[in-house]
Amino acid sequence: MKTHIKWFTVLSILLIAAFVLSACQPQATPTAEVTQAPPTEAPTQAVVTEAPTEVPTPTKVPVTRKGGWLDEIVFSVVGEEQAITQLQAGTIDVYASGLSSADFPAIKDAGLSYAQANGLYYDLLFNPAGPEFKDGRLNPFADSKIREAMNWLIDRNYLNQEIYGGGSLPKWLPITTNGPEYANFVETARELESKYAYNLEKANEVITTEMESLGAKLVDGKWTYKDKPVTLIFLIRPDGDGTRKPIGDYVANQLEGIGFTVDRQYKTSSEASPIWIGSDPIEGQWHFYTSAWISTVLSRDEKDMFQQMYLPSSIQGLSVFQANKPDPEFQKLGDDLANGNFKTLDERSQMMKKALQLALQDSLQVWLIDGKSYAPYTPKVEVTYDLAAGIEGAQIWPYTVRFKDQEGGQLKWAEPDLFTEPWNPIAGSNWAWDQAAVRATTSGGVMYDPYTGLVWPLRIEKGAITALEGLPVGKTYDWVTLDFAPEIKVPEDAWVDWNAKDQKFITAKEKSPDGITAKIKSVVTYPADLFKIVKWHDGSSLSPADFVMALILTFDRANKDSAVYDEAAVPNFESFMSSFKGVKIVSTDPLVVEYYTDFYYQDAELNVATLWPNYLLGEAPWEVTAIANLAEANNELTYSADKADAKKLEQTSYVGGPSLEILAKYLDQAAGESYIPYANTMGQYVTADDAKARYDSLKKWYSDHGHFWLGTGPYYLDKAFLTEKTLTLKHFDEYPDLADRWSQFGEPKFADVQVEGDTQVKINSEASFDVMITFKGQPYPQSEIKMVKYLLYNAKNEVVTIGEAEAVEDGHFRITLPADLTAKLEAGSNKIEVAVVPLPVAYPTFASIEFVTIP
Amino acid sequence: MDADGKEQIPLLKRFTNTTFFRVLRYTLMRIITLFITVVIGIYLTILIANMGGYVDQIMKGEIKERITMSMAADPKSRNLSPEVRQKLIEERISLEEKRMGLDQPLFVRTVGYLSNALTLRLGRAINMTSDSGSKTVRLILLERLPATLLLMGTSELSLFFISVFLALSLSRRYGSFWDKAVIALSPTSAAPPWFYGIFFILIFAAILKILPFGGMVDVPPPSSSFDYAMSVLKHLILPASSLIISSLFLSIYNWRTFFLIYSSEDYVEMAKAKGLPQKDIERRYILRPTLPTIITNFALLLIGIWTGAIITETVFLWPGLGRTLYRAIGLFDIPVIVGSTIIYAYLLALTVFLLDFVYALVDPRVKVGS
Repeated sequence: MKTHIKWFTVLSILLIAAFVLSACQPQATPTAEVTQAPPTEAPTQAVVTEAPTEVPTPTKVPVTRKGGWLDEIVFSVVGEEQAITQLQAGTIDVYASGLSSADFPAIKDAGLSYAQANGLYYDLLFNPAGPEFKDGRLNPFADSKIREAMNWLIDRNYLNQEIYGGGSLPKWLPITTNGPEYANFVETARELESKYAYNLEKANEVITTEMESLGAKLVDGKWTYKDKPVTLIFLIRPDGDGTRKPIGDYVANQLEGIGFTVDRQYKTSSEASPIWIGSDPIEGQWHFYTSAWISTVLSRDEKDMFQQMYLPSSIQGLSVFQANKPDPEFQKLGDDLANGNFKTLDERSQMMKKALQLALQDSLQVWLIDGKSYAPYTPKVEVTYDLAAGIEGAQIWPYTVRFKDQEGGQLKWAEPDLFTEPWNPIAGSNWAWDQAAVRATTSGGVMYDPYTGLVWPLRIEKGAITALEGLPVGKTYDWVTLDFAPEIKVPEDAWVDWNAKDQKFITAKEKSPDGITAKIKSVVTYPADLFKIVKWHDGSSLSPADFVMALILTFDRANKDSAVYDEAAVPNFESFMSSFKGVKIVSTDPLVVEYYTDFYYQDAELNVATLWPNYLLGEAPWEVTAIANLAEANNELTYSADKADAKKLEQTSYVGGPSLEILAKYLDQAAGESYIPYANTMGQYVTADDAKARYDSLKKWYSDHGHFWLGTGPYYLDKAFLTEKTLTLKHFDEYPDLADRWSQFGEPKFADVQVEGDTQVKINSEASFDVMITFKGQPYPQSEIKMVKYLLYNAKNEVVTIGEAEAVEDGHFRITLPADLTAKLEAGSNKIEVAVVPLPVAYPTFASIEFVTIP
Repeated sequence: MDADGKEQIPLLKRFTNTTFFRVLRYTLMRIITLFITVVIGIYLTILIANMGGYVDQIMKGEIKERITMSMAADPKSRNLSPEVRQKLIEERISLEEKRMGLDQPLFVRTVGYLSNALTLRLGRAINMTSDSGSKTVRLILLERLPATLLLMGTSELSLFFISVFLALSLSRRYGSFWDKAVIALSPTSAAPPWFYGIFFILIFAAILKILPFGGMVDVPPPSSSFDYAMSVLKHLILPASSLIISSLFLSIYNWRTFFLIYSSEDYVEMAKAKGLPQKDIERRYILRPTLPTIITNFALLLIGIWTGAIITETVFLWPGLGRTLYRAIGLFDIPVIVGSTIIYAYLLALTVFLLDFVYALVDPRVKVGS
């Protein structure tokens, strides 16, 4: 026995030693690169030994490197739970997928850099059916006033601090907190946030009144209805990032505290979905659900959120929305906003403000948290990320990722998975991690601004937009022109549809002899040397045929007469055709393309339609598409998973698996015949010699790299190892742009704001406050500030007034409160909150100052 | 009766009394019994994997959620009227349900799964793809098989032989320091392999940085075959060690106790008293009678290799069958679950079938079909 005890002691010591060792792992392994002082950090104290003469300014060596900054990027798979440890150990440089904000403290503690992006946004979704379910049970949430009162019952700041480590944002509104729309309506947003701030007594008061009016009684502190306890079925999700469980428990506790009986049903996504989506709300299988949604784009226009998130006409068409009975005014506003039924931006603005108020009164969904995700990377790496989509979802990442102050090198990039589905650019993998790699191999007409959601010309010269008069379209940047016309006619020779039998485009005249009109006309002019400077990764020059092939595929796969018809392509095609009006290639030297559509964005920049041989999920030169089409036409491969299942075929993969041999076979065949696909149309853009040269080049590429993935981006796919789940991207030497072309997007230019002024203000006398706006210690240029709004709160935390600060100079704005305004304030503590909206980033910065009013 | 008055044994009866007939009858009966067991087992697996039809509801709910969300995320669909949009949503839902076979009654599907499984037509996965992008279940499983065989084979075979030989040795040194040490350490097997895996990763990968965190090969993989093999071996050390360590002491303890029982039989004592060399005693008097048990364990171990180690493979990101199966369960991908199960079931049935014959070969006391 004694021996056993000894052994257990030894074992325990070993185990504890292992714990201690693991806990003592270095916070940041001291390597040469990591321990370098960050270049932005100024020395604490300069030691001056001589009188300074002239400060030597380092001469900036012009960048001559083209394409990406790195020589090589190696992708591999690492589990989220190991991301921080592996970054610390130096085995990876970037973990491109966002970790939950619960991991944010660990990222900071590890001394890692990080990219913050939108995460899930969390809410409570209520079943609005009733007030009685089919079986006679009461559903309190059929009463919108009870749903509205739920806003007061929940302390969102507590949730953010306790569950999300303070790394997310409390959320009250259907629009993104601190997003572009929020900046537009900041006064309404702040007013509503103040109105619906945590107030347990008020929640209880309203709920009690409403419950009693519904016929419920509070017996021994418990709500009853027809002599039975009111039991709320609460679907709580314990899966995902795990944060919905504590949210659910908190809300359940709050409700139990005011007399409800809560049946907490912990259900995973799969288990919950048949209940909240699959069941009829009136059956009463659930009362409310810990819902969450995601948006990975920086949305500049959220006017359709009311319809989508509250109304029976919701685009989602789920029964829970259809069961809602909203205020008719809210229904009309939501629909009008979603359908763009307004004439001016001012009218839209008024509608949005009203809709925000009505949304909180409806509260079919009570918003709780705007989640953030954090993609960590080592401090020696620099990368530009998208404020909404993070690193892996940003178009710009391949153009900016580099080691600090270094050209070249190998970067180790990790993600949770890779090659989840076959890679083909038409209907292949659209998993975020696969697309992150794909993005590095592609370019395109425009570059999405990672901080504003607008676009910049990447490979186009200019864009001109003509909008129908009355459409609320505006512009921000100078590279696009915007004008309005009373009518926009589609030219008779524009292509409006596709005849798959004859393999020819149908012109506007052929389809509608009476003429076709559109709401938007976009004219894009490409650079004169486009077809000389842009090369595919195998060395072939980009050609107009690549553009035309991409255009044909938009139509052909959804056409029953086509050899590559795929019924899975039809719904998306119908959606596209509902707004598409025509396209015309005006010239090919230089390439000028007119595009006509009824679909429009409010920003002219986003209405610029840039044709590019970029299919939905990647680029491809025409000859690769041609051989994949041959394989599909011969029933050996198919682009989409749906058709693959229906026809029992393999899904086309350009990078591995059984597809490669089949594609290689058709490449040989096509090369032998100098095959020109869709010859009736493509024949105008490709000669037999062109075709042969392209096929020969592709053959060489396949023999060198073992795959068919070609693009025009700054990196090419060198090798793909599918079972090992790794791939290597290499620098594409023939990429035309200099490596620093997008370096102005080094980091988001968030404004640092400080409000200064008297902390004591005399009632009935003028007071002024200075708003100091800086970025990295330098004054923020006035020309880059869209507006500086302020909100004055009184001692009861009510908004007294809203105004705009006046510009004084760069980085300096002033707020002046006239005497008649301070006269409205009672003696006590007041607050001014300032929202600074810069132009280079779409997210505003808030700051505030408290002051005391004295008689 | 013949002329001598002896009873004539009919030819048929004579034949049925032969060893050949006995073995043949036994073989056929055994095959039929095992086949029925496999059929029942597989059908139960199919029903359980489908949760008696509840999975249909789950999948339909997920399809609806996915499609409505994707429709909502498509800005162009906002231009459509609610009716047209709803029609498109329904079209896409119906296409997806059709693709996943949900348009057919559950019974028809389960019978289809069963018949395909029994004939080893493993068919196509519903959602999963192989690493190379194929939906063929055969490829999905085969692609992961080498990695699993390597990891499980290395660890299980090492564990088996180390345990048996050390146990045999310990059984000779009953009560020695090492015997007591093994007994004391045997509770360490209460911790699962992944528990050791996490510690090994922290110690050898994160702190000492002498072994990789996970995966099967360096990234990018070495181009020469030799370097590739060396890289795989380097990546194999931690997962295999955690699988071995987690079971080692308990396994030695089990075998040691087993050998001890046989070591204390009277005939062994007699052999010792006769002064036979220790090696002969071990080989003839201890190992021989224990051979059927050792072979059974070994055979079951061999087919156990097929199943993989779900959590350990996940911790080490080892591309094995365990992770594939785990993913298939999460995605309710019945064809993959059934494909993996039927192969295991056939291997198990075959092993059980063959073991009866092996017992007869190694132990003269056993007769097939008697």
